[in-house]
Amino acid sequence: MNPFIYLDNAATSYPKPREVLESMVETYAHLGVSPGRGGYDRAVEAEAFVHETRKRVARFFNAPDPDRIVFAHNATDALNMVIQGLVAPGDHVVSTRLEHNSVLRPLHHLHLQNVITYDLAPFDGRGFVDPEDIGRRIRPETRLVVVSHASNVLGTVQPIGDIGRICAEHEVPLVVDVTQSAGRIPIHMTEWRASAVAFTGHKGLLGPTGIGGMAVDSETDIRPTRFGGTGVESKSLIHTEAYPHRLEAGTLNLMGIIGLSAGMDYLRQEGIDTIHRRELKLLERLRDGFSKTDGVEIYCTEDLTDHVGVLTVTLRGIEPADVGAILDADFNIAVRTGLHCAPLVHETLGTTPRGGVRFSLGPFNTREDVDSAVSAMAAIARAVE
Amino acid sequence: MQPPEGHRPLPPPDSGDPSRRVRRIGGRDIVFDVDDFFWDPNAWSEEAARILARESGLDTLTDDHWRVIHFLREFYFTNGRAPMNRQLKTGLGMSLMSIEALFPGGIKHGARRLAGLPNPKSCA
Repeated sequence: MNPFIYLDNAATSYPKPREVLESMVETYAHLGVSPGRGGYDRAVEAEAFVHETRKRVARFFNAPDPDRIVFAHNATDALNMVIQGLVAPGDHVVSTRLEHNSVLRPLHHLHLQNVITYDLAPFDGRGFVDPEDIGRRIRPETRLVVVSHASNVLGTVQPIGDIGRICAEHEVPLVVDVTQSAGRIPIHMTEWRASAVAFTGHKGLLGPTGIGGMAVDSETDIRPTRFGGTGVESKSLIHTEAYPHRLEAGTLNLMGIIGLSAGMDYLRQEGIDTIHRRELKLLERLRDGFSKTDGVEIYCTEDLTDHVGVLTVTLRGIEPADVGAILDADFNIAVRTGLHCAPLVHETLGTTPRGGVRFSLGPFNTREDVDSAVSAMAAIARAVE
Repeated sequence: MQPPEGHRPLPPPDSGDPSRRVRRIGGRDIVFDVDDFFWDPNAWSEEAARILARESGLDTLTDDHWRVIHFLREFYFTNGRAPMNRQLKTGLGMSLMSIEALFPGGIKHGARRLAGLPNPKSCA
């Protein structure tokens, strides 16, 4: 039996770097008080750590203002905040069929409540959206464009710079979901002219679950959709309008923020380009291995130039959920099967309702891991012939 | 046997809910979900399993088939959930690839469905 091989890094990175886990425990053991809520030195020190992390996140994303780095539970939480906080009744939103349910469901629920209408741009056979198509869908009442930087099913990295240019020409705010790209591909929020970038801490940024957030540019004001304690302006019953507290209600996830900070440390030391290049080499090996296996269909990996380490396949004659179960029990390989919370991607691929089998690479995967996955899929393919 | 906690109550036959449908099998009305999984594991019978097996192209359920089916049911009613992948493999002493090959429809739509276990709904 193989050692445990984890190929589900698009769901969450695993394992976390030892340095991240140790930093979380040690820093939280020392600093685990309520940041920004008290005048004693330890609370001030905790708040300083949080502020320093905001500055580091701003640098990481090339975001203009550290005070507009807002922490949230994860990218879904941040996307809900930004989408619901920007639109008003009668507005129109443009997005894409590549999106995760973290974008699709907020849009669809707002549509069902008769608040907005929305249009979704398709992706082509290689897994990319056409920026000009997004531009053509923008109407006078379009209030927002929301696009994922990298698909969580196909791994394709979208031309955000071009989309940002088109949105700027139409003076429509652009929100970018960098859930699958942050930590692998440089995020150029300012250069992209993005109004907001939503991220999660537990995937490519190598932090724990439960921490994420968004960077907001200085010209965008997001209407708060929840209210509560912030530690500032407590005498008023009106929630503060100042960032970042405007969008942060309640005590922050300090443990998560420490882990996020440590994850960014790790990435700086290793180099995100180095990690990304290594993952792409493994992805190429995986694709080439699968392409030699009868019955395996691989989606959108002909050209790996603009990709992250994600590859989705189906195997003829066998349910994806069963492939995942066999990989797990018989080969000790963990993958994600099904629709990957991106139903419209699978609908377009023709893999609805059972979805596919997704292999997603992380910084600790090796050539041996990839070769084991290829051999395992070949064995399963032979067994179901 | 008592059903595990959290099992779904039987809907009224005329509920009109498109997520479930009633079929007459072996002289009994049985409720199935949209994927043809038993709505209520207690509605299962060996006769129903044989009929569903024939529908899936399996004319005879062998001892190996029954061993898998009975293991799944016993585990489910003892633990309140289906076995995890390794529990299934270890409990039966069979690879999952063997179970896959044994049932038309494989592990989920074959073995699990014929055993009358609920449709697993995790992200599919």
